Amino acid sequence: MFRYWNGYVYVVIFMLLGVLLPLAALWVLGPLLRPNRPTAGKLTTYESGVEPIGDAHVRYNARYYLFALLFVIFDVETLFLYPWAASYHQMGRFALVEMLLFIFMLAIGLVYAWRKKVLEWT
Amino acid sequence: MQILWTPEMIAFFLISLAILACAVMLLSFQKVIYMALAIGGVFIGCAALYILLGAEFVGISQVLIYAGAITILLMFAIMLTNHEAVEPEARWTVRRVFSALGCLALAAVLWFVIRSVQWPQGDAATDINQGHPNAVAIGLMLFKTYTIPFELVSLLLIVALVGAVILARPPKEGE
Repeated sequence: MFRYWNGYVYVVIFMLLGVLLPLAALWVLGPLLRPNRPTAGKLTTYESGVEPIGDAHVRYNARYYLFALLFVIFDVETLFLYPWAASYHQMGRFALVEMLLFIFMLAIGLVYAWRKKVLEWT
Repeated sequence: MQILWTPEMIAFFLISLAILACAVMLLSFQKVIYMALAIGGVFIGCAALYILLGAEFVGISQVLIYAGAITILLMFAIMLTNHEAVEPEARWTVRRVFSALGCLALAAVLWFVIRSVQWPQGDAATDINQGHPNAVAIGLMLFKTYTIPFELVSLLLIVALVGAVILARPPKEGE
């Protein structure tokens, strides 16, 4: 039991590293190394090289919500892949067929969304 | 009550502190987008709590579904709506008193329930994991014992997908 928890010490160490490294690079080392000569042009918000127009807090088109909804559904599918992959060696061929069926069903859904032109940006 | 200061206990207190801090931030922020970020923090804290309790699969699904998908869904919902209006400060002190009383009553009920519950003690004979790690045990159960319900889940997901497409699709020209 105790050895099992020791594994999470590494997780915590990596989490701390993941938080601290960018902070150290951007807040501590960066200002020491980079020159700082701001001009009005440099301080404007970057918007693909175009002069920024208006506020960033605009209302987006409602169709983008569909991407979020589709993402949630396929995220749930991904969740089922995890215990499947973990227990695959104890189950063999039948589990593969089951998962292929599962993915096939969701692929039908994806094709449906595609045919309904949900995935298009324009 | 004696508290044993094991590493688990310290981790539990740190995680609970993080969750409570995020929850308080969620309630006190004025801008909805910050609230969505705070609720993401709450979800991640809950995932850490699940992992601490030994339920890694629940923790992973919490990160994947709640911290990932649900928070993104909230963000999209916020981006799609107009929310420049700031809510006025709540002034009804009577309402505040009653909500405080309600919160205290709920806390008391939860406290008594937690104190009175008897958790069954597991041993090797009643170990439903049968020595497997959690994810493996869940996989074996899902793909061997509950095959049909698992395949029905895909049907449920496809129904959700079709419903989402039909509901959120912009109406065609002339419709």
